[in-house]
Amino acid sequence: MSIVLSGVSAGYGRNPAVINNIDLTIREGEITVFIGPNGCGKSTLLKTMARLLKPRSGRINVDGLDVLSSSPKAVARTLAFLPQEPLVPTGISVEQMVGYGRAPHQSLLGFRSARDVELIDQAIATVGIEHLRDRPVAELSGGQRQSAFFAMVLAQDTPYAILDEPTNHLDITHQIDVLEQIRRLNSDHKKTTLVVLHDLNLAARYADRLVLFNNGAVFADGTPEQVLTPANIADVFAVDSRILAEPMGGKPLCVPYPRSVSETER
Amino acid sequence: MTPGQGIYRRRASLVALLAALTLASAIWSLGVGAVKVPVDVIVNTLLNLDGDQQRYIILKSRLPRVVLALLAGGALALSGAIIQAVIRNPLASPGIIGINSGAALFAVLLVSLLPDLPPAWMPVTACLGGLSAAGIVMLVAHFRTLSPAHLALIGVAVGLVFEAGVDYLLVTSSDAERSAPLIWLTGSLWGRNWDHVSVSVAPLMIFAALALVLTYRLDLLSLGDASATGLGIRVPLLRLALLAVATVLASVSVAVVGVMGFIGLMAPHIARRLVGGSHRWLLPTSALTGMLLVSLADGLGRAIAPPLEVSAGILAALLGAPFFVYIMLTTASEQDG
Repeated sequence: MSIVLSGVSAGYGRNPAVINNIDLTIREGEITVFIGPNGCGKSTLLKTMARLLKPRSGRINVDGLDVLSSSPKAVARTLAFLPQEPLVPTGISVEQMVGYGRAPHQSLLGFRSARDVELIDQAIATVGIEHLRDRPVAELSGGQRQSAFFAMVLAQDTPYAILDEPTNHLDITHQIDVLEQIRRLNSDHKKTTLVVLHDLNLAARYADRLVLFNNGAVFADGTPEQVLTPANIADVFAVDSRILAEPMGGKPLCVPYPRSVSETER
Repeated sequence: MTPGQGIYRRRASLVALLAALTLASAIWSLGVGAVKVPVDVIVNTLLNLDGDQQRYIILKSRLPRVVLALLAGGALALSGAIIQAVIRNPLASPGIIGINSGAALFAVLLVSLLPDLPPAWMPVTACLGGLSAAGIVMLVAHFRTLSPAHLALIGVAVGLVFEAGVDYLLVTSSDAERSAPLIWLTGSLWGRNWDHVSVSVAPLMIFAALALVLTYRLDLLSLGDASATGLGIRVPLLRLALLAVATVLASVSVAVVGVMGFIGLMAPHIARRLVGGSHRWLLPTSALTGMLLVSLADGLGRAIAPPLEVSAGILAALLGAPFFVYIMLTTASEQDG
């Protein structure tokens, strides 16, 4: 089982398509990370997968469920989505917000079953925010908020999760914290996770598979070692670079240089 | 006891207190006016007990007013709370999607064009006006999926056009027969009777119930369109349904008690400070706050200088505004941190 995109094209208004005819399979059990320059179409593809944008053509299939024609609730029981900048509701406690993650499993009125309560408590414990449980989300720091949103995604209890730049605006402490949590979700909860990241080196360290986008299409796709090469970086980001081995785990580490500097060194 | 249960108890007792205050203000308001009626006589009359009764004044004249004050106050507050959640703007109120000005224009048009029509037509016409103004806004929103900010701007623009129409009609009219809609425009319960109650009670109850059914959906919408979609909500459909509910609630209220723009803005804010942002609590608390404000304002309007009356809409704004500012100033830090 997996997420299968076939021939997906999408764009905004009457403008030309931002992504063109994308064929991609997100394999079960992996952490797949989308990277690429601004405007390369990775966010547009994510929006399309999250049903925020209607594709102009193509199909998206999650676990055998056609995302575009199935009921939104059924899709939400299979696929969780954490947007880049979720709105922070005012006057809502962390516990209440984590509980909203149960909505796709509940009726219109949203009354909690014993199972809901259990999963909400579990999600709060997994993310390690028991001490924030009754605090209003609006009062939390950026890192704490992100943890609360994570717990909400966890409470949704879906086999697949899509996270749009979850490390945005966070300091390195919280960036590492968030990525470790993603890794734990993947290894302990068997969640197939698709993440968009801007930092190539963090992407290389946490991804099972990197997908590099450029001009609305997949430019390179494979392990971090296969994708992060000086040639790919030069073609897509227009910078020169050296690829080193990161000291702890040996994952590729990209050190970028402006084109001119690197050329004079040669 | 976990802190969670403590919050729950505090909220429940606040709601109970608010309900008691509303009941007290309603009973007090039955007694005041050109003829003062003591509380024991009011209770005797209402429950048909032995002893002194004032059947005509209480049952025929004041009870329908008080019932209308409660109905309209609750409905306007519910409508305001829904619209603030949909537009995601604390300054939003039913007026922002053009309801008040639409209702006002149709009412003034009715008086100008068909002055011989019986006054019972006024609520129906006003309701149609409110619905048509909001209808234009929602139609635009339906054909192009709009952000809450766009929705608010279109609502304000439509409202301004209708308002300009009202101003034109009032300025160009020369005689005094226009004074009837003028009183109504300030939001008054003067001269309201059981007919007004009977036309408005059914739609208000039905749509208030619908609003309460949608409270959990309102909570999910407050996470933003993207998160709500991810949780399986059809956001454009939900937004349309919520706006329709809010429009009917506000239009019917405006039709029977006139324009009380301030209630829809203020009551939800006061309620939010009392019970927080969960709409399951916020909507009922807003409704109670709106009921309390309007019934208090209507009673005071009759008590200040009998037999003259001051419009409830004017008094509600005068009374509510200082309290509103006080509440905002004392609790501001809680939300903005």
